[in-house]
Amino acid sequence: MLRHFKAFLILCVLAVGLAPSARAQTSVPPINFRERTLQNGLKVYSVRDQSSPTVSIQVWYKVGSKDDPEGRSGFAHLFEHMMFKGTKNMKDEMIDRLTEDVGGFNNASTWDDFTNYYEVVPSNYLETLLWAEADRMAALNVDDKNFKSERDVVKEEFRSRILAPPYGRLFYAIEKRSFTTHPYRRPGIGSIEELDAATIEDVRAFFQTFYRPDNATLVVVGDFDDKQLDAWVDKYFGRVPKPDKPLPRVTVKEPARTKEQRFAEYGPNVPLPAVALTYLAPPVASDDAYALRVAESIMGAGESSRLYQSLVYRQQVAAEAFASADLREDQGLFVLGAILASEKKPEEAERALLAELKKIQDEPVTAAELDKAKSQLLTNLVRERETNNGKADALGRAVVLLGDARRVNTDVTKLQSVTAADVQRVMKKYFNDTNRVVINYQAEASKAAPQNAGEGQKGESR
Amino acid sequence: MKVSVNQLRRAVSRAGLWPLLALLLLPSVAAAQNNAPAAPQATPPPPAAPRSVNIPKPVEQTLKNGMRVIVIEDHDMPLVSAQVIVKNGGEVDPPSLSGVADMTASLLTKGTKTRSAPQIAQEIEALGGVLNSGAGWDASRAFVNVMSPKTEAAFTILADVVRNPVFQADEIERLRQQYLDSLSVSLNDPGTLASYVASRVVYGDAAYGHPLSGTPESLTRIKREDITALHAKYYRPDNAVLVIGGDIKAADAFKLAEKLFGDWAKPAEALPARGQVGKMASADDKQRVVVVDMPDAGQAAVVLARTGISRTDPDFFRGIVANAVLTGYSGRLNQEIRIKRGLSYGARSSLDTRREVGPFVASSQTKNPSGAEVASLLIGELGRLSNEPVAETELVPRKAVLIGGFGRALETTEGLVQQVASLALYGLGLDEINSYIRNVQSVTAADIQKFAGSRIGAAGANIIIVGNSKDFIEPLRKQFKTVEVIPFAELDLNSASLRKSSGEGAKK
Repeated sequence: MLRHFKAFLILCVLAVGLAPSARAQTSVPPINFRERTLQNGLKVYSVRDQSSPTVSIQVWYKVGSKDDPEGRSGFAHLFEHMMFKGTKNMKDEMIDRLTEDVGGFNNASTWDDFTNYYEVVPSNYLETLLWAEADRMAALNVDDKNFKSERDVVKEEFRSRILAPPYGRLFYAIEKRSFTTHPYRRPGIGSIEELDAATIEDVRAFFQTFYRPDNATLVVVGDFDDKQLDAWVDKYFGRVPKPDKPLPRVTVKEPARTKEQRFAEYGPNVPLPAVALTYLAPPVASDDAYALRVAESIMGAGESSRLYQSLVYRQQVAAEAFASADLREDQGLFVLGAILASEKKPEEAERALLAELKKIQDEPVTAAELDKAKSQLLTNLVRERETNNGKADALGRAVVLLGDARRVNTDVTKLQSVTAADVQRVMKKYFNDTNRVVINYQAEASKAAPQNAGEGQKGESR
Repeated sequence: MKVSVNQLRRAVSRAGLWPLLALLLLPSVAAAQNNAPAAPQATPPPPAAPRSVNIPKPVEQTLKNGMRVIVIEDHDMPLVSAQVIVKNGGEVDPPSLSGVADMTASLLTKGTKTRSAPQIAQEIEALGGVLNSGAGWDASRAFVNVMSPKTEAAFTILADVVRNPVFQADEIERLRQQYLDSLSVSLNDPGTLASYVASRVVYGDAAYGHPLSGTPESLTRIKREDITALHAKYYRPDNAVLVIGGDIKAADAFKLAEKLFGDWAKPAEALPARGQVGKMASADDKQRVVVVDMPDAGQAAVVLARTGISRTDPDFFRGIVANAVLTGYSGRLNQEIRIKRGLSYGARSSLDTRREVGPFVASSQTKNPSGAEVASLLIGELGRLSNEPVAETELVPRKAVLIGGFGRALETTEGLVQQVASLALYGLGLDEINSYIRNVQSVTAADIQKFAGSRIGAAGANIIIVGNSKDFIEPLRKQFKTVEVIPFAELDLNSASLRKSSGEGAKK
């Protein structure tokens, strides 16, 4: 169960930045992509790779939770679920017939800044899936009955992610408390009330506003012939019209923080208190992001990381400690946090986290740590690229989030050149006392006796 | 991305991940199933001719000390994985010391004769590698994944942790505390708690009945001698298999295996006999309906659990195809519970095959008031599987899911190693990975119906619900004659009774 606990906390999927060690003996195999733009504005990226007879098809839309309509938090995600219902020419769940039923799979995910839909199928089904993705880009056909039923599914998803697990509410609070102005302040999973407020008219309006070829990127990686792919893409996607209306974009800027803010949050069934420190961080595409990725790794990746060694191993103040560079298109977050070891107090963990922060600001990281971080980032990157779908993910992020497909390869070099001085500079620049939100998370039962949090919880949990 | 902060941010996928990939000599399901209007693009274009998949072939040698070494080459990416499996795990935990096999395996990476715990982490992570260890049922494992130019350095650490752990007292204490802390979290999660309770209900006091990582009571009882004794007894070359996969030549892999494990001495005493796991609860035993009352639970976790089959059962392929009809995104459970009724984010089942008879488990989480309804849907689907044959139009795609998932699992070096290791663990022929597809294809609707009725019938199924009982207890009592309601504070995972009051005296 220890492993399950960790899997929950350190769910390691690669985000954008990637770095080979300066001394790495191997390099990351580059992703050699082709790029085209159709007349209707659809961007198309493809990588031919015949190592397995499969193909990954991904469609990325530049619309995410930050585009949730006012009073409808969680809507972009609810909408994503509706994209698996009927379209002009497909019955409900027909995408599953075309993928799962032939040995493939599909899924989609909604992020703050984008939504991506993807399928992996035996490569002889490529044309079929291009047809299907173009069909749902062209026209959705939803009815009130399946809208309500799917909304119930999303409400259960909310309960499964936020209400049932002991720390679900903590991560919900991090989103809510870390932004004052930017729509990132509304957690992407939404709330039961605002999901209930959504209507089928909202679905239609959202589709018309954001789901259009000039707001989409198609990524295809796997076993196909380039010319044949181009012909199919032209045939099926070329005829999806581009609307005349301009695309709305979030332009709100999150103002700089001016003083530390502290929040106490509570949940039932919380056996160990937790503390999280969040700092506003620069946009994911910024130059400082490279050094922040390296810092994230040095602070939090693996059992040799500074937070594990200090808080979990030596001081034993935390059961789990984490560092997360949660970088986004607009200002994102860098989060440091810990779930306490039993009998420990939140202020001890907070002090320990702040001490580690001061250390990385005061002294340059060692050459060995720098090398290790780069080596870890590099290897993660190679692991991601083991599958066609992983390669497509990497390419899609470069295009949609970083605004430049070439970064799927050039970021490797950029990360490689991060120095100890760079790490120290960004840690000093973004991590100061006025840029901090502190969230203390504990059991409801401890509300009555906040001095005695550790004891209170024990009573509650057993 | 890391850490659950982003789990949330990624407001998330439509579904937890369901299976993928592969070849498929299947008819065009796509074309067959569309009878939409006849506009130019109204029907999906049919598939082209399928291309065949190459499944790599494992090769093997046995070292003089009895250690079996298996290699599967795959040079697509510069990555290598290796796994040492010791052929015993949580099933050998003494009843009062549940969790000792898992603690032992976890402690491998926490210090050897020449490396401290921080040194091990430091060295492997400097290579960009990942090293992990832990126990499962029937096996304990240590595994490593690294870029191929660093193979030897990483494998050297792997061999060191398996052969030379020192089980230092302070590391044991540290790990014990970490286990207790994570257990306190797991026990507060309705889904995880329900799975622990389910194991006790199915196996009673037999060996698969306890949580793999122990209980709050057993963890405090484990002493250093228990750990060193378990290591001495089971961690020996003639009870171990080394599986290496990825970007490495077989000859080089065998050479490295000989260098790192060739002088691992085999103890003089014979290997301990494979113990029976003990009496299993069976369909004849009274079916139990157990509710753990957790008034603040954000959802009710509903589990149907019963005995299934062992990994070497001749019905294995019939069993996994039957299970595939029930589980997966478009499997019957998710169809009925999520897609048709919106009652859950997902419903699934697993036929967990082990050395002895493993459990069959179907589960879902739902809002508390729907707890009883979901329980009856789970039972209903199990019944339907034995009452009527699966139509060919349903069976063909469900086999495709299974075959696709299998092919996808072989796409990564880690997946490849895992598949082969599991065959080796149960003494099955390694060529099963090459006949898997044929075996799945040969299962008929009649096979499934028979299997469902005789091996995983609804009559022998137990129901476990962890949640706010007042929201679902009335309808549940209408469905079942006897419902045991155990308040969260009274729950005891150490005994089959599951109750502190009666259980405490019995266990020592």
